[in-house]
Amino acid sequence: MKLWSIILLTFRESLAKKTFMAFLGISTFICLLLIFALNLDIVNGMQSSVSLFGQDIESAAEITKILFGIESGIAILLFSGGIFMSLFATSSLVPSLLQEGYIDIFISKPVSRLDILLGRYLGAIVIVALNIFYLVIFSGAILSIKTGIWNWGYLWAGVIIVLTFGALFALMTFLSVLSRSGPLSLMITYLVLFFSPMLLARDEIYALLSSPVYGYFFDGLYYFLPKTAELGVILQKLVSNQPVESWMPLWSSMLFAVFMLAVTAYIFQKKNF
Amino acid sequence: MFAIETQHLSKFYSRGKVKALQNFSLTVEQGKIFGLLGPNGAGKTTFIKIVLGIIHPNGGKASILGKPITDYKVHRHIGYLSEKHHFPGFLTAGRVLYYFGKMSGLTGSALEKRMDELLELVKLSDWKNHKVREFSKGMQQRLGLAHALINDPKLIFLDEPTDGIDPVGRREIRDLLQLLRDQGKTIFLNSHLLSEVERISDEIAILKDGRLLKKGPVHEFLAVDRQYQLKIAQEKNTLEAICQKMSVTLSQTDGAFMISVKNDEQLNELIDRLRSSKVLIRAIVPYKISLEDFFIDVIEENEGDGQ
Ligand SMILES: Nc1ncnc2c1ncn2[C@@H]1O[C@H](COP(=O)(O)OP(=O)(O)OP(=O)(O)O)[C@@H](O)[C@H]1O
Ligand SMILES: [Mg+2]
Repeated sequence: MKLWSIILLTFRESLAKKTFMAFLGISTFICLLLIFALNLDIVNGMQSSVSLFGQDIESAAEITKILFGIESGIAILLFSGGIFMSLFATSSLVPSLLQEGYIDIFISKPVSRLDILLGRYLGAIVIVALNIFYLVIFSGAILSIKTGIWNWGYLWAGVIIVLTFGALFALMTFLSVLSRSGPLSLMITYLVLFFSPMLLARDEIYALLSSPVYGYFFDGLYYFLPKTAELGVILQKLVSNQPVESWMPLWSSMLFAVFMLAVTAYIFQKKNF
Repeated sequence: MFAIETQHLSKFYSRGKVKALQNFSLTVEQGKIFGLLGPNGAGKTTFIKIVLGIIHPNGGKASILGKPITDYKVHRHIGYLSEKHHFPGFLTAGRVLYYFGKMSGLTGSALEKRMDELLELVKLSDWKNHKVREFSKGMQQRLGLAHALINDPKLIFLDEPTDGIDPVGRREIRDLLQLLRDQGKTIFLNSHLLSEVERISDEIAILKDGRLLKKGPVHEFLAVDRQYQLKIAQEKNTLEAICQKMSVTLSQTDGAFMISVKNDEQLNELIDRLRSSKVLIRAIVPYKISLEDFFIDVIEENEGDGQ
């Protein structure tokens, strides 16, 4: 109940930032585009043709391919642009909580410091999840109604996006509690987001290095950090209904989130405000 | 059970260079208004923050309402107005009370009712649906006070509650605090407005450089035995002559005469003599020093032997 009130307040604070409104606006625009760009002619209960941007598409296999294509496109857009925007929009949530005169109020209430931190974290997750599922559910529904093909993998893609955000936001929360600076935490999180995929190519880096110690270091870094590039691959597999070869990137990234939150909670507990 | 009890609390900053609190032991009884005084940087805010768990002490023990300060659940019965509180500007006054009321464990209609009562009490009823960013400093302070009372607390910490509030508002807050005390609540007050503290506090403590200099009931500190302020119309010379004859110490401050007598008999004899010499007495007032004078004396006595 008290935790919920902290989540609600965090939610309310996020809403006050215009970024999420812009997010919703863009999502709505994409849905409208889908409504008007994709036309279906149904004859005798059978699809006779689907037209996209005025071009006719005949075969059912073709339609499925197009559907998966559009959904993959939106999912990747959300996975990259959506997470990018969400991190930006939530970057000030923890630093603003830690401001003198605000955090005092929370701690003086009958809530534990852990609840305060979790409330903030979950509040951010809730609003990002709402934004992401707003687009996934609406665009998915429009596409499925129009094509008659229901692709549940697309919904799962939404889950992957939220979880990936959760891992990165855990890192940002940790950095924010350490530094109390939103911009700094955001920058480092972006660095991890963009440069961790390079660790996939670490074998090539090893070739250039003299000592095997570097190898262990990069291996360690790879297994420790959220694996955004591979999560992107899992996402695409899910959307296009292909089997996922390894879930390791997902569970290890979740482990990263839990670890980060635990360390952050420990530091937060010890802090003076 | 004491409302607040601390033993040997200490808090250092900057690797021990700043001693915000040193070996600070204090007990505050329930149902009293307690004023903590001290110059800027004395450690008053640090003390409140430690007992509320906002900062951690480097040493010592403390409890509030009989529970160790690490037990956050006791905050169910605590109200706190922070010196620098600030609520998000986009929230309305009503929402501020709503969210923090919920965090204090209130729900539903009980919360709604309490919100309206408190807004009424701090004269912000018309501002319930206005955003905090539209509020003047004094209005924010009133809202802060309302928020501190939302859970009907037993022990209330107020860090400079009348800061930025106009004279009429200050009197209202003073009356409110006395009302709360009469309801059996304990109020712990940090304030620089000594005339106010003097008027409402039952007990005070003076803190300087993190050390406790004085603690006790206000009236004991302020009463000065057998000194009276004497106001007469004229005949200054007559007064001087009589005092000299009776060996009564006479001094003159701020245009009034101060007399220091041995006992009540001597005071009455002095009055008789003055009257028979046709001196017109306007007033004889037992002398009390102001809290401000007392405070400055204590601080000056302890000048220089700080850190
Ligand atoms: N976060 C901090 N880091 C370093 N020093 C601090 C910190 N907070 C407080 N101090 C120091 O601790 C001492 C006590 O500060 P505190 O805020 O408790 O004083 P105060 O009595 O409330 O003063 P005021 O009347 O100005 O409000 C001061 O010397 C202050 O500089
Ligand atoms: Mg202070």
